[in-house]
Amino acid sequence: MFSRITYAFRETWASFQRNLTLTAAAILTAAVALLLVGVTFLIQSGFANLLAKWQGGVEMIIYVRPEVSNDPARVEALRQQVSGNAAVKDVTVLNQEQSFEIAKKVLVGQPALLKALSVEKMPAQIRVVPVKGSEDLLPILKQQFKDAPNVFQIGLATDTIKLYSKLSQFVRQFTIGASAILMIVAVVLIWNTIRTAMFARRREIEVMKLVGATNWFIRVPFMLEGLLQGLIGSLLSCGGLVLVNSLWGNALGGFGTTDNVTNDLLSLQVTPGYLRGVMLIILAVGALVGALAAGIAATRFLDV
Amino acid sequence: MIKLENVSKVYNDEVVALRDASFDIPKGEFVFLVGASGSGKSTLLRLMNRQERPERGAVWVAGRNINEMPDSKVPFLRRNIGNIFQDYKLLPNKTVFENVAFALEVIGRPKHVIRQQVPAVLELVGLSGKQDRFPHQLSGGEQQRVSIARAFVNRPLILLADEPTGNLDPTTGEGIMRLLDRINKTGTTVVMATHDQRIVNMMRRRVVQLDRGVIVRDQARGVYD
Repeated sequence: MFSRITYAFRETWASFQRNLTLTAAAILTAAVALLLVGVTFLIQSGFANLLAKWQGGVEMIIYVRPEVSNDPARVEALRQQVSGNAAVKDVTVLNQEQSFEIAKKVLVGQPALLKALSVEKMPAQIRVVPVKGSEDLLPILKQQFKDAPNVFQIGLATDTIKLYSKLSQFVRQFTIGASAILMIVAVVLIWNTIRTAMFARRREIEVMKLVGATNWFIRVPFMLEGLLQGLIGSLLSCGGLVLVNSLWGNALGGFGTTDNVTNDLLSLQVTPGYLRGVMLIILAVGALVGALAAGIAATRFLDV
Repeated sequence: MIKLENVSKVYNDEVVALRDASFDIPKGEFVFLVGASGSGKSTLLRLMNRQERPERGAVWVAGRNINEMPDSKVPFLRRNIGNIFQDYKLLPNKTVFENVAFALEVIGRPKHVIRQQVPAVLELVGLSGKQDRFPHQLSGGEQQRVSIARAFVNRPLILLADEPTGNLDPTTGEGIMRLLDRINKTGTTVVMATHDQRIVNMMRRRVVQLDRGVIVRDQARGVYD
């Protein structure tokens, strides 16, 4: 068994050296494709943070005064008042813990501010989904409730937020499309590299088959080669992802917190834990795609 | 050891390579397959190690009908069959030792076994001092000896040789035949396709003659014609 493992690794390494140019091309393409896949994940997460408050068609949020937010009866009374309005389709209540969870996402780019917050200081939220076509009535509703007892603040989804939402959909579709195309290119390149490697070694493969090597024995070094190409590509893309994320974080930090828009932009970041998760996914995808492409090529071209 | 029962092989639905061929080769026999180019000699050899499958009939090797053998078992069949070719099929980037060791390595033999068996078989074929040379540093006869060493290193039950003396001068060819004779005397069945009239006449072994895919003669201790 040990000699077979040694053989597989030795042959993989030899083949790597023999097809250096083609191998480098396959690795770089895989790296770019996987980097784009990673960036897609980061962008999606960033927009999810930015739009965390406004998900589910919510267009108005009434923040309850923090000191009464832990009193369910008062919050419920306010909720009933709001839901009685003809322009309101649906009303949901978030307690202090749930509000704090959303704040963690929205304030991902402002750790100092997040650190100053606690569950007790958070306002409960009454989230309003308007009846379709009645969105214009929400500013009037805001006027009605802004001085009501127990109301701390009222927020309306601005046109900017609606723009972010549309932008997020566009960017998501574009990056998913581009990364899918690049992944296909990477698979084809890895497949072609393995095919070329097998053609270069056709005489060797013929002898191997005649002396009784099993198909798996012949196939495994080629699959390992594909796996390594995918893995090295994904390692490079992980490095690129860390760099992109760091540059993006620095760029956003440079905007400061001067207005609502820059505050919103600061939400377009991800936590270090999320970044690590994405990197692990990319490593697994790279290795799997490389091994599969090589495995298919090795099976297809074994009859040399 | 090898038995063919009414075997027919047709390429591309039109070229008949073998027609209704039947014969039986007992263990330890030395058989020459003779006939003109395209008479079906190589096809017969390819059927015996399952490089080809017949359209009709059965090929039995060591008691098993190899046409019905699943593909996954074929490598294990081939470990009992050594192959020798006219063009040697040596790997140019490997030394003599590595070429022979390769046959053991790819079937998973451990290193210590390889270190024992390769020098022994190189001694048998008369290449003891040349194990570190590359194929291009050897004469044709020596290259064929490496090819025989590779085919025999695993001590197969059967040796299939396709025109092994075809590229060699008569004296070198005789040396190769003496080597195959020695191997045959160890109990290995040898089936050899050849055009070499002189060698067939010299050896006086069983001769199976083919003509356009049909066995026209099967003679013990025969001559070429």
